[in-house]
Amino acid sequence: MMDQQFQHAMLPQPTHDELARQNFVQSLKMHIFRNISPGNKVIYEKLGKPKFEQEHQRPPQNRYEIREVMQHEPYYRWTSALKRINQEMLWDAVNANVDRQLPELIERSKDKGNELGTLTLDPNFQIPTHQKAVDIHCMPGGYHSEFTDDDVAAGATYDRGAYVYGLGWLGPLNDDMGLSIVQNYLLPEYPDFRPRKILDMGCSVGNSTLPYTDGFPDAEVHAIDVGASMLRYAHARAEALGKRVHFSQQNAEHTNFPDESFDLVVSHILLHEIPPPSVRKVMQESYRLLAPGGMMIHVEAPLYRHMDIYTQFIYDWETANNNEPFWSAVRDLDLVPLATEAGFAADKVFEKFVPNGAWKAKVSNSGSQGTWFVVAATK
Amino acid sequence: MTKIAKGKRPVYLENPQTDKLLAIVMALTGEVSVLHERLDTIERLLEVKGILSATEIEAYEPDAKVTKEREQWRAEYIARVLRVVQEELETLNQS
Repeated sequence: MMDQQFQHAMLPQPTHDELARQNFVQSLKMHIFRNISPGNKVIYEKLGKPKFEQEHQRPPQNRYEIREVMQHEPYYRWTSALKRINQEMLWDAVNANVDRQLPELIERSKDKGNELGTLTLDPNFQIPTHQKAVDIHCMPGGYHSEFTDDDVAAGATYDRGAYVYGLGWLGPLNDDMGLSIVQNYLLPEYPDFRPRKILDMGCSVGNSTLPYTDGFPDAEVHAIDVGASMLRYAHARAEALGKRVHFSQQNAEHTNFPDESFDLVVSHILLHEIPPPSVRKVMQESYRLLAPGGMMIHVEAPLYRHMDIYTQFIYDWETANNNEPFWSAVRDLDLVPLATEAGFAADKVFEKFVPNGAWKAKVSNSGSQGTWFVVAATK
Repeated sequence: MTKIAKGKRPVYLENPQTDKLLAIVMALTGEVSVLHERLDTIERLLEVKGILSATEIEAYEPDAKVTKEREQWRAEYIARVLRVVQEELETLNQS
């Protein structure tokens, strides 16, 4: 079930007990996911829905009405309490490890040697207000905070935390999103597409960025994020893995790259971390940055119109309970009109479900277990 | 110093105190799991070597088989501790 995360030079190395703590977090998560959460469907069908029908003479029609009855069910409240505590324990277990090793990790990040790529930080950079209101998915400090000089804690915490959180489902390098887009979509469906310049928006630790350097070895790959701590780590991580990426601290809503300077602009689960007006700006910026014939691909989890209302209700848990303020607002959007309003021709905008699990195909015969939803367009 | 995530924390049970109690119980549950794992390491090392040192415990890395056995143990252990949460559902399913 839990494969080993790849131990590159920047990954924090837990002590025996720190690792045991992280193992517990994973087992607890698995138990909640397999044995507790599914029970809410039974509670809804047998208790919640009949109560609602008795009161309104009709079944619930949307996720809000389902929540209206479910929020009073003790079973749902216990599930939610356990999920929330599990998430808090996750960051606690990872933070303890990162904080203990931080001086060493900072030292390692400064050891540039023969650099392949670059790191450009902006000392005057303004963190967008929408990132400062709450710490996204309960990760203390979010993507953007710096706790000490030359900090790399946010990156180290995210790299290890994402792996523990997902029970390794993104693969040993947390790279399944980028890898699946390259291996299961771009290379097979566009064999002649050879982008010379690629931009990854909201790259965090560059986990999804690196597969593009492998898939398109001749391309110049850039990656941007708002957090300096995140980017220092991302750069050091890419160097440790021998990949050439140019990281810079920029807001995807308005970058400093010239018009038409990229052939491929991508993002991976960026859209649900920013409010709808920012999603619009990211679409506009994607359009501005693309050269004619270039392609934009934004990867996300599915939108609400892809789900029945009970699944929507379950998804919506993240909004208030896991500090995901824009999670539902973005899943309510129809992204296609946003792309056409940004300038893309209507017949060149499309949505697609791309098979995931490309990392698995590299190590075994088992591959996809699901899909990544993408909204994409060509200019 | 624990880092705390910025943002409003919902109240799940009767009141914030009950929520705190559950968080404490789960932290304790986690620590028992940690303890179990450490003892497990010691026992396995004793079995192999008959000698014990802290560095040996720190250096021990479970192989795939041990990892699997430990995951199995943790799954059962968590199910045991949280049985009360699922009892409601079992009762409902039997009705």
